[in-house]
Amino acid sequence: MKQRPFALKRPFLVICAPAIAVVAILISVTSLHVHPDFTSQAAISAAPVDQGAYRRIRWSELIPAQWDPKDLFKGEDISSWGDADPRALTLQRRMQAAWSKAPVNRALDQRAIRTAGYVVPIEESGDGMSEFLLVPYFGSCIHIPPPPANQIIDVSSPKPVKGVHSMDAVWVSGILSVAQIHHDIGDSAYALRADAVDLYTGPAQ
Amino acid sequence: MNALLMIAWRSGWNRRATLALVAFSIGLSTFLLLGFERVRADLRESFSQSVSGTDLIVGARTGGVQLMLYSVFHVGGATNNIRMDSVRAIEQNKSVGWVVPLSLGDSHLGFPVLATTPGFFEHFQYGYRQHLALASGRLFDGSLDELYDTVVGAEVADALGYKLGQKITLSHGAGGPGGIEHADKPFTVVGILQRTGTPVDRTVHISLEAMEAIHLDWAGGAPMPGVAIPAAMARKFDLAPKQVTAALVGLKSRAAVFGVQRFVADYPQEALMAVLPGVALDQLWDVVGAGEKALLALSALVAVVSFAGLVAVILAGLNERRRELAVLRAIGAGPRQVLMLLLAEGSLVALLGVGIGAILVAASTVGLGPWIQSQYGIVLSAAPPSDEEWKRVGEIVLAGIVASLIPAWRAYRLSLVDGLSPRV
Repeated sequence: MKQRPFALKRPFLVICAPAIAVVAILISVTSLHVHPDFTSQAAISAAPVDQGAYRRIRWSELIPAQWDPKDLFKGEDISSWGDADPRALTLQRRMQAAWSKAPVNRALDQRAIRTAGYVVPIEESGDGMSEFLLVPYFGSCIHIPPPPANQIIDVSSPKPVKGVHSMDAVWVSGILSVAQIHHDIGDSAYALRADAVDLYTGPAQ
Repeated sequence: MNALLMIAWRSGWNRRATLALVAFSIGLSTFLLLGFERVRADLRESFSQSVSGTDLIVGARTGGVQLMLYSVFHVGGATNNIRMDSVRAIEQNKSVGWVVPLSLGDSHLGFPVLATTPGFFEHFQYGYRQHLALASGRLFDGSLDELYDTVVGAEVADALGYKLGQKITLSHGAGGPGGIEHADKPFTVVGILQRTGTPVDRTVHISLEAMEAIHLDWAGGAPMPGVAIPAAMARKFDLAPKQVTAALVGLKSRAAVFGVQRFVADYPQEALMAVLPGVALDQLWDVVGAGEKALLALSALVAVVSFAGLVAVILAGLNERRRELAVLRAIGAGPRQVLMLLLAEGSLVALLGVGIGAILVAASTVGLGPWIQSQYGIVLSAAPPSDEEWKRVGEIVLAGIVASLIPAWRAYRLSLVDGLSPRV
């Protein structure tokens, strides 16, 4: 008598294997990411924000018109110097001293702005990042020279921002202000109270 | 639908021994996945809680992560000390608001000893800009009268049962058997800090001068034979610290941070480095992230194995249950109902397993939490599941349903052709 019990047959195994693979992939793909917050939320706005209310500014607008960071190099034929030239080292020291006192553009005080830059974390707790520096180029915390004082924005976010990592590119919208600081180290710096911080996805929207 | 669930449950109850085993194995893999997520999240939480309001950490040149680990978390060792006059030079930089020197190396019954200035209690912050606060007693002021006074963290006081006025002796280095005690210069606990959930809880704080005093009659890391300076006599010596392990730096303006970092790195008299704590922590997570990924992959594989077990057990059961399914067909159950029955059975077992796993996680965070905190300084939160954990639970249940589709589909196919055939 021909048996046809509920027994495993070869074709069944063939179908069974991909099914198990699907289960495996399902579990691993959905749970394997180093920064879980990252993939789950691309937009991390502190609050829904009307983009039109913020004027998109470029980093060059933060520099007052009369201040030229290249003033220092005038009359020096830098291209003829070698890397270890003592003149280069003194010039760099002078440049850093001048750049750390770089003046700010007071016309931007109390303006609602929107700009993109890289994140250098300052204050972080379990809830997320509540304060960071926004800088115009990647690697500012390790490369020399550091950006001039007027190319650094001290961003504080009333609602901690999750999913932002050191040196991520972000869009920041908020009120820019010129903070008065100790006169020895230049008189002012930019601070920004962020209404929204979003991971950078592309050029101006 | 309810009737179907009822039948699935009763039929499953009949085979409870094997199904319970499968549920238990799913429970264990749930425990692994959820427990891992809990530890991962809490570890990050407690690390990022541990320092706030500090703009730069200065130490001898080493890796940024290592400097951060030993100066704030007291994990690992320093490559080198830095000279006190370098610390003073940084203090004089115009952008610098405050500097708190830290000197590490000694311990008390396994708890690290941190020698610092009274400014530590004023400037050090944790969590979101929270200052340290005393639970009882007072701080030391760094004067000679209060030379042998110590302020201990909450965990030290709890674990060792210390009250104010307790006399303690410090051990040189990490202590332990064969270690050398600074028994000739006992300290008095004058203050106990409030619990912070950070490494401060596990730290014994003394003044920098006290650190000098207990090592006066030492040379090259060992007591000098024949030289013994009594505790009171030590006050007559120059106790100004010559070198420290690291220093915390706060700035007047945070925008000056790169300038000061550069100033420290270029400091001509000594090879120093300065790290931004937030950047160093992110670097740490980058390193740890690879390990986390591997562990997650392993946990996911374990889950796949337990679901393979579920599939195998139900499939094997199908053969014994030919009659059961045939009876169901005979009383009017369609193949679709048979499919739903098997699906319900698998899903119920998966749900049961996830429940077991969740209970295991909750029980072990509550049960083992205090022990883990005292051993490793990691605070495990006995909180309800986080979003990430709910997501993981959902994934496991979903995987269970997908896995039980396999036997369900099999039963469906066969019940069409052979459910009622009169063959034995």
